[in-house]
Amino acid sequence: MKQEKQMNILLFVTTILLTLIGVIMVYSASQIWAEFKFNDRYYYLWRQLIFASIGLLGMYIISKIDYQIYKKNASFIFLVGLGLLIMVLLPGIGIVRGGARSWIGIGTFSIQPSEFMKIACIMLVSKYLSDYYHDMKKIKYVLLLLCVLLLVFGLVMLQPDFGTGMVIVATVIVMLFVSGVDLSYFLYLILAGLGGITLLIISAPYRLQRIFAYLDPWSDPLGAGFQIIQSLYAIAPGGLFGVGFGNSIQKYFYLPEPQTDFIFAIIIEELGFIGGVAILILYTTFLITSLQISYKAKDLFGKFLALGITLTIFIQFFINIGVVIGLLPVTGITLPFLSYGGSSLTVTLLGVGIILNISKYQNDDEV
Amino acid sequence: MNDFILIMQKRLKFLMVLFSLLIIVLIFRLAFVQFVNGSDITDKAYALWSRNIPVEGQRGIIYDRNGKPIVNNKLSPSVALIPRQIENKEEVASFLSDVLEVSYEEAYKHVSKHVSVELIKPEGRKLSLEQAKRIIDKNYRGVYLVGDTTRNYLYNDYLAHVLGFVGIDNQGITGIEYIYDDYLMGNSGSSKYFTDAKGNALSQLYGLYEAPTKGMDIYLTIDMDIQILLERVLENTNARYNPDQILGLAMNPKNGEILAMASYPSYNPTEYQKYDQEIYNRNLPIWMSYEPGSTFKIVTYSAGIEEGVFELDEHFYDPGYTIVDGTRIKDWKAGGHGDQTFLEVIQNSCNPGFMEIGRRLGAENLFKYIDLYGFGKKTGIDLLGESKGIVFDLEDVGPVELATSSFGQGNSVTPIQLVTAVSAAINGGILYQPYVLKEIRMPITNDLIYEKKKNAVRRVISEETSDVMRYALESVVAKGTGRNAFIDGYRVGGKTGTAQKAVDGVYLDNNYIVSFIGAAPMNDPQIVVYVAIDNPKNTIQYGGVVAAPIVKEILQEALPILGIPKQADQIEKELRWGWDTKYYTVPNLIGLKRKELPPVYYYKYEFFGEGNVVKYQSPRPGEKVTEGGTILIYLSRE
Repeated sequence: MKQEKQMNILLFVTTILLTLIGVIMVYSASQIWAEFKFNDRYYYLWRQLIFASIGLLGMYIISKIDYQIYKKNASFIFLVGLGLLIMVLLPGIGIVRGGARSWIGIGTFSIQPSEFMKIACIMLVSKYLSDYYHDMKKIKYVLLLLCVLLLVFGLVMLQPDFGTGMVIVATVIVMLFVSGVDLSYFLYLILAGLGGITLLIISAPYRLQRIFAYLDPWSDPLGAGFQIIQSLYAIAPGGLFGVGFGNSIQKYFYLPEPQTDFIFAIIIEELGFIGGVAILILYTTFLITSLQISYKAKDLFGKFLALGITLTIFIQFFINIGVVIGLLPVTGITLPFLSYGGSSLTVTLLGVGIILNISKYQNDDEV
Repeated sequence: MNDFILIMQKRLKFLMVLFSLLIIVLIFRLAFVQFVNGSDITDKAYALWSRNIPVEGQRGIIYDRNGKPIVNNKLSPSVALIPRQIENKEEVASFLSDVLEVSYEEAYKHVSKHVSVELIKPEGRKLSLEQAKRIIDKNYRGVYLVGDTTRNYLYNDYLAHVLGFVGIDNQGITGIEYIYDDYLMGNSGSSKYFTDAKGNALSQLYGLYEAPTKGMDIYLTIDMDIQILLERVLENTNARYNPDQILGLAMNPKNGEILAMASYPSYNPTEYQKYDQEIYNRNLPIWMSYEPGSTFKIVTYSAGIEEGVFELDEHFYDPGYTIVDGTRIKDWKAGGHGDQTFLEVIQNSCNPGFMEIGRRLGAENLFKYIDLYGFGKKTGIDLLGESKGIVFDLEDVGPVELATSSFGQGNSVTPIQLVTAVSAAINGGILYQPYVLKEIRMPITNDLIYEKKKNAVRRVISEETSDVMRYALESVVAKGTGRNAFIDGYRVGGKTGTAQKAVDGVYLDNNYIVSFIGAAPMNDPQIVVYVAIDNPKNTIQYGGVVAAPIVKEILQEALPILGIPKQADQIEKELRWGWDTKYYTVPNLIGLKRKELPPVYYYKYEFFGEGNVVKYQSPRPGEKVTEGGTILIYLSRE
């Protein structure tokens, strides 16, 4: 192996900044609901602080572990992930929250196997692409990969967790794109994707309503448009500088669970356009830096692994913010680093740990 | 292998650009939501967060011509509920049902309704001070009092028909309150504060108080002192004669300003619901129409002078009747007035004399003046419910109709028409449109918004004719049938009227509308007063007997109120007893038992002493007693 260097400090710093901002804003956004539900305004703060500590510690440890280990164990990790995905579907093991059987409980904490599967999938795909990249012009290899992907997507959709399923599929497809697959395949993929979406919509018409709701949320203000309207009611009054930290009104029971999917709305309300753009710049710095790490990775597995993890973060980030500001339909995807949630935060930070490790073995090529 | 890597690196670079572009899209969209759609969405958000407790605007005050308030407002709070803040709904509901006197179920429905602010109508509106105090004492969360006002009619039922009244939301329903509602109405404001989604007040945003605006103030042409005078006189008249209806009207003849307007039966605007709709909807001085009787002779007389069909000193012989088209139409005085001048014709209210004037004028001419004086059309006074009366169509007027029209029968007119017409006859000849609204002013600043100016409708007769009319009418009071309206020191002019009531085309017996129209001072008339009494009891039904003293009483007090000094050069009252007062010879009653006394109609008995037998009478047998006079009878046991 190549000589080990210093890990990428910029990525490390932006990660810590985003995580800390997340902890603080989770506190601000959640305190009212926390007080109401648990009679403890710090309820979510403490838990998020614990998740962040575990996640950052895990990230630091992971950053010390040579990422080649994942290539060797990629298939095993994937099979474990697959096993967990099947387990979660079993009544008695999987815990239902918000209409989806997505959690497996361990003590007071519970994890989401689909979050774990994101990483497992990326590892397997990275190994596959780094081994067979020169065969990726052959449709057979692409189809094989897509079949595995379809299996994972199908299992995730059984929970159902449309958001995570979509993130996994989109991540793998962009990885295929970067691996050099012929652009014409993507045309078919897009067509197939459109067909798939159509099928999904037909099978569960509430999704169609959700899609139309974001186009005109006021057409169904108490139903499908409700969350978007409440989100916009936080964003618009925020103005340029926001109403000030802690002063959000929408968190006073208007926006349901403001600490999770819609935390960015509360951030805009309290910190304004300026605060929002500052956070977007942090994300941009993080994302471009990690793409540069992928660009400079010493080997193809590291390149695809860094890319895959970056992609899951970018896709979730883009979809979440897109939803919050009314650009995309509501999907139920959390905002990486900022949203409250143990599985989401720790898995994201562990993923960053892997990228940090990859950054230690970089070429010094110019980007 | 290098080729593959190159493609990958190119596509990675492409991804970097794509990421950046997509993030820029997010920033643009964010800016769009915040700064382009921002204010619209922000408004909606504030509307979502805020709770408005409506505060009603205060209605404008109604003043009389001298700035005396007639109608103002008094505070009477209303209850506003914020159901989400009410914790113990059962307790609050039973409390409210007790205080507001609504059923528990009803109260519970209000306190548990899914609305931001709930008002209880009408029980929760316009609370008494006691109710308000009980609510303040309990101080339940979510139960609030908001400042509301009710209309305060300072003079109760006085001027009620002109003022009208308002409904529960202080909206004008009738009268001035309705006609000028747009000006009187205040804009409601609100007490606004911010809450979370569960209805608890938030401290982040200060509550706003949007003050309600006051409505504009209205100044009427009414002089409240004269109005009170008129009302009291009508009250006394009602007590004395117990008539079916009474109405009175005072107007400035020089511009049409109504100084006072009253009628009986009246109502209290505060509790209008307790009265029949017919009572509050019928403003008799403008609504009632009837055959006016002799007061109408002013029209005939002035037309005759204007057309030059007679001279005041021209003689006319009244045999007591006139035969028109084979019909014998009698004078009101049996045997007639004999030989008299045309000035005496009006003084005596001689029907054959007026029939003569009508005959000389001809139907076309007489009805031209009836039309010019405004009969048969609404005057257009700014009040609700005016009638237009009924005037013969010219083609239907034969000699009989012409004859009866000449002395005031056949055409029906409203009191307001008569008053404006008589005003025109004595003010120099110009018919003015009557009105009640004088000014509209801004509240607080008192800035003048609108001022009603007199509206001259047309010239009816020449100034010279009007001069003669003033002289003739003054002489009616000084020397004629209007004698009971004579005031020493004031030049009063006027005309009596005793109108037969026609029901279904048949004149009723012993059921008259007696009236008097008077004006003063006759050299420069400042006020015209008209009073009509419908079917007075316990009296002979003559306008000169019943109505003239009432108008006299009103003028006597109204003229000083208007600041009009007494004058020396009036036409002296002629003491010609026996000429226009009726006398009756007193029968011998001495020795009769009380039960055997003959019934009397034109005078009354008054008894003194104990016993059953008439011992002495005054006046003595064979002497005379005046109409309406008293025979004193001393009784003894033997």
